[in-house]
Amino acid sequence: MEKLLQIINNILLNKEKQPIHKLIADDSLTNTLGLDSLDLAELTVRIEAEFDIDVFEDGLVLTVGEIIKKLNLNE
Amino acid sequence: MNSLFYRDYKCHYSKTWYDLMCDLSNLDCFTPFCKENDYYKIFLQIICSLLLNQEITLLDGDFTDQEVEQLTKKKDIETRTQDIQLPSMEFLDKNSFLEYVFSNHSKWGISIYTSGTTGLPKKVTHSFESLTRFVKINEQNNKSVWGFAYNATHMAGLQVFFQALLNGNEIVRLFGLNKEDIFNQIEEHQISRISATPTFYRMLLPTTSTFKSIIRLTSGGEKFDQRASELLNKVFPNAKITNVYASTEIGSLFASQGDVFSLKKELADKIKFIENELFVHKSLLGKLSGQNEEQWYATGDLIEIVSKEPLKFKFLSRKNEMINVGGYKVNPHEVEEAIRTYNGILDVRVSGKKNSVLGNIVVCEVVIQKQINEMELRTYLRTRLQEFKIPRIIKFVENISSTHTGKTKRR
Repeated sequence: MEKLLQIINNILLNKEKQPIHKLIADDSLTNTLGLDSLDLAELTVRIEAEFDIDVFEDGLVLTVGEIIKKLNLNE
Repeated sequence: MNSLFYRDYKCHYSKTWYDLMCDLSNLDCFTPFCKENDYYKIFLQIICSLLLNQEITLLDGDFTDQEVEQLTKKKDIETRTQDIQLPSMEFLDKNSFLEYVFSNHSKWGISIYTSGTTGLPKKVTHSFESLTRFVKINEQNNKSVWGFAYNATHMAGLQVFFQALLNGNEIVRLFGLNKEDIFNQIEEHQISRISATPTFYRMLLPTTSTFKSIIRLTSGGEKFDQRASELLNKVFPNAKITNVYASTEIGSLFASQGDVFSLKKELADKIKFIENELFVHKSLLGKLSGQNEEQWYATGDLIEIVSKEPLKFKFLSRKNEMINVGGYKVNPHEVEEAIRTYNGILDVRVSGKKNSVLGNIVVCEVVIQKQINEMELRTYLRTRLQEFKIPRIIKFVENISSTHTGKTKRR
């Protein structure tokens, strides 16, 4: 979880946006976190480099919770 | 005349054809170098250039001053405006207005910039004929409502604009909207046609909604995978999905259903393949700045022939190093050049990193001479490059490997 938080914050900081303190499952990647398609592409590359899973493979992922589920971070 | 010409949900306004004619009649200034973010203002200036029978150059609204100067070799494009007074048009009906707009375009041309295969981007000037080569005007098309999903200053956007304009259609802007708003616009305005990049369509998935008003989806700019195409068919059950091969230099050239392209008879002697690369005869090209001596233009696109009679082929990959970021081509040399100008950078290598959202993103490796702050480097690059060209991941390395010819290795 810590690693995913770090990846998301890295993207936010590079956009000169405020980092988030914790991951909230219901947070929308686009509406809440304000990520655009370039950010989502970066997110998938960084996640794949870290976890070896392409979270966007089956189409667009909408929320933080969907990423957590795909990465099995709950277990 | 109260039928709609343009709707812009993002900017909260809409314009009827009557508004368009009034706005043109009241326009007091023509901008031969149009750098604008507002799509309607871009459309107004394009129509104005047609009425004046003068060339217009379109620049992306988000080009940095540096990019504009490099591209146009001019410092003060915003001051190069012309005072004008066009005749009153608001009393014309739509057909008479369109006839009037297109009555004389002998000297008209539209220039845009393409990312180029080497070095700096180059200017491409299209005549009315080359730009509208594949525009179809017929009764079936005159009731179309277009979902406008491209940048208005790019070739694909211009083709949609002219297809819609010549048919007197309504244009609904979808570019820059989020998924939910795109779906709302499709439903609310009963959009019947969309032309967009595969990335645009991928961003609409997954969804459980279906939209019956769409009868045609066109995709181009990148490869479209079969699976996304199948999913789209469920969302838009009445839509015929067509892939188009097009480029800034040529415009649209071929269309396909699935990934196998075939050739129209009239183009048979205008294309050829050399070592599986597609070459296009110069009669099909816009006017390119610089090199225009060769009879045949090497597209850099590699194909595989599926059948010879009739000729059918598939596109495989590109021969050059352009990075395709969701349909936007990025020239790695241009990005490297910008990064090298930053104090403290010794060497840089820019490449594309594949992903399932945009196809590729731009990433880079840099060798530094002294400690530099990544945030400051990013802030600097924002003054030199459009956002999609700025490397998303910057990796600091000890050295950059070269190929045996001494060229930087990109992959």
